Amino acid sequence: MNRILAVAKNTFREAVRDKVLYVLLFLAAVSIFGSKALGWISIGQDIKIVKDISLASTSIFGVLVAIFIGTSLVYKEIDKRTLYTIISQPMHRWEFLLGKYLGLMGILAVVTVVMTGVSAAYVLLLGGSLEPIYFLAVLLIFWKLLLITAFSLLLSSLTSPILGAIIVFFVYLFGHATGVFLDLPPQFHGTFAEKVLKVAYYAIPNLGNFDLRAEAANGVAVSGVYVAWVLAYGLAYTAVLLLLAALAFEEKDV
Amino acid sequence: MDAIVTRGLGKVFKEIGKPKVRSLDSLDLTIRKHEVFGFLGRNGAGKTTTIKILCSLLKPTAGEAFAFGENVRTRRARRLIGYLPEQPYFYEYLTPRETLDFYGQLQGLGPAERAREWDKLSEMLDLRDIAAQRIKGFSKGMRQRVGFAVALVGDPPLLILDEPMSGLDPIGRRNIRELILRMRDENKTLFFSSHVLADVEQVCDRVGILVKGRLVRQGRIDELLGKKTAGVEVVATGLDTSAVAALKATCESHRALDELERFTFADPEAGNRAARMVLEQGGKLVELNPLRETLEDYFMREQRPDERTGVMS
Repeated sequence: MNRILAVAKNTFREAVRDKVLYVLLFLAAVSIFGSKALGWISIGQDIKIVKDISLASTSIFGVLVAIFIGTSLVYKEIDKRTLYTIISQPMHRWEFLLGKYLGLMGILAVVTVVMTGVSAAYVLLLGGSLEPIYFLAVLLIFWKLLLITAFSLLLSSLTSPILGAIIVFFVYLFGHATGVFLDLPPQFHGTFAEKVLKVAYYAIPNLGNFDLRAEAANGVAVSGVYVAWVLAYGLAYTAVLLLLAALAFEEKDV
Repeated sequence: MDAIVTRGLGKVFKEIGKPKVRSLDSLDLTIRKHEVFGFLGRNGAGKTTTIKILCSLLKPTAGEAFAFGENVRTRRARRLIGYLPEQPYFYEYLTPRETLDFYGQLQGLGPAERAREWDKLSEMLDLRDIAAQRIKGFSKGMRQRVGFAVALVGDPPLLILDEPMSGLDPIGRRNIRELILRMRDENKTLFFSSHVLADVEQVCDRVGILVKGRLVRQGRIDELLGKKTAGVEVVATGLDTSAVAALKATCESHRALDELERFTFADPEAGNRAARMVLEQGGKLVELNPLRETLEDYFMREQRPDERTGVMS
């Protein structure tokens, strides 16, 4: 456990020094504060808009951090050859991988908390109120980041950061629209394409499940069962992705 | 028990869309406990591939390798090996002290043990003055010292060093050479690759020569070079110009420095005749030196004719 924590601590330290993080945080702050401008053109809806855009910013910028830093986590260590002296230590390779993952999740936890803190303060400053559903929505966004980061890590141990980032980005896009894979026009019925799309539907994580933005903006509660189900779904998916990453990395020549 | 044993070790690299590359072929190697073994070969001969397999960075496609009887793929074997890669890279934002602490944690050492390791290694490798500086601005020599310290964390009995003197200035090389000798005195086993044959000759008990992924020779340097001489050098003085010209006509090479005339002969018999001639011509015989073959001569001879051209490394 100490070995995993040592790697996690270092990954955290390294990510804190990554300029990409600050560029993304700056853009996130701009979009949160800029959301008021959109509120002006929708009279009486400004708090709703600020909440909605704040959650969207937290989600999008968290995902960008997960993709940009996540897909280079292992690759960078191989490329810069820092991995040589680490993998040759008496530790399991999966311990290194898990340490990298936890380090980046630590960063994402801090990013999520900071962005939520800033947006919550902004909503209160504008005279709005925050219901528990708002924070539940943030929790599910973080849960989605767990999954995206695990997927980025898997690709980082298989391919280059650019290709990895492109693949994760497309999975992210399709993950928000998995319904289209099943909702096909009649001419698709019985075709090979239908089967392929059906497989894609089950293989690509349904990221729409993690989206409680509309409920949070309007203060509508969701059932505890639904939240528990989504949390379990996210954890199961993440565990499978981490397992695949560990298997891919175990046999990898570095 | 031997420190390193490899049996039929092989590595073929396969990449999609590229031809297969056989980097290592049926390597059988035995490194005894407490010996310093030099692993020689040109670039691409398979030295780094062998080292990476021993340090579990690469998986062999054939054969097995053991460190003190433990398969090198196991964690127990890795506990016994200290590894210094060629031009080691560490996290640039860490200081040497943080770096050693990090590797101590990876070894599973507690805080007190890590502090002791730092005290010992920072003194041995002269890291105290740079303890709080980030590695980012370090020279090659400084990085090599940190790398050596990392390899020694946890006091492993076997050190595997990949080109430890490569890219260092003469002082840096001397420091590493002294460290290797010091480690030998501390009864560690050292296995290192190098292309600097003079350095290998000075510190190694035995060497192995790798050509195109195959071990062509291994043995003690004096056994490999044998007792035979590569020629004789006759050093004389007080010769007139006609005597010098006569000797020059029979020798392989000639050099005149101050009062001394140095003639070298490939055939020892020709050397004897030259020595007699010096005396007959009224000259004075100052030295008669047998010329031993150097490791470099041997290395060049062991390379196949088509391998000899190009830069040796």
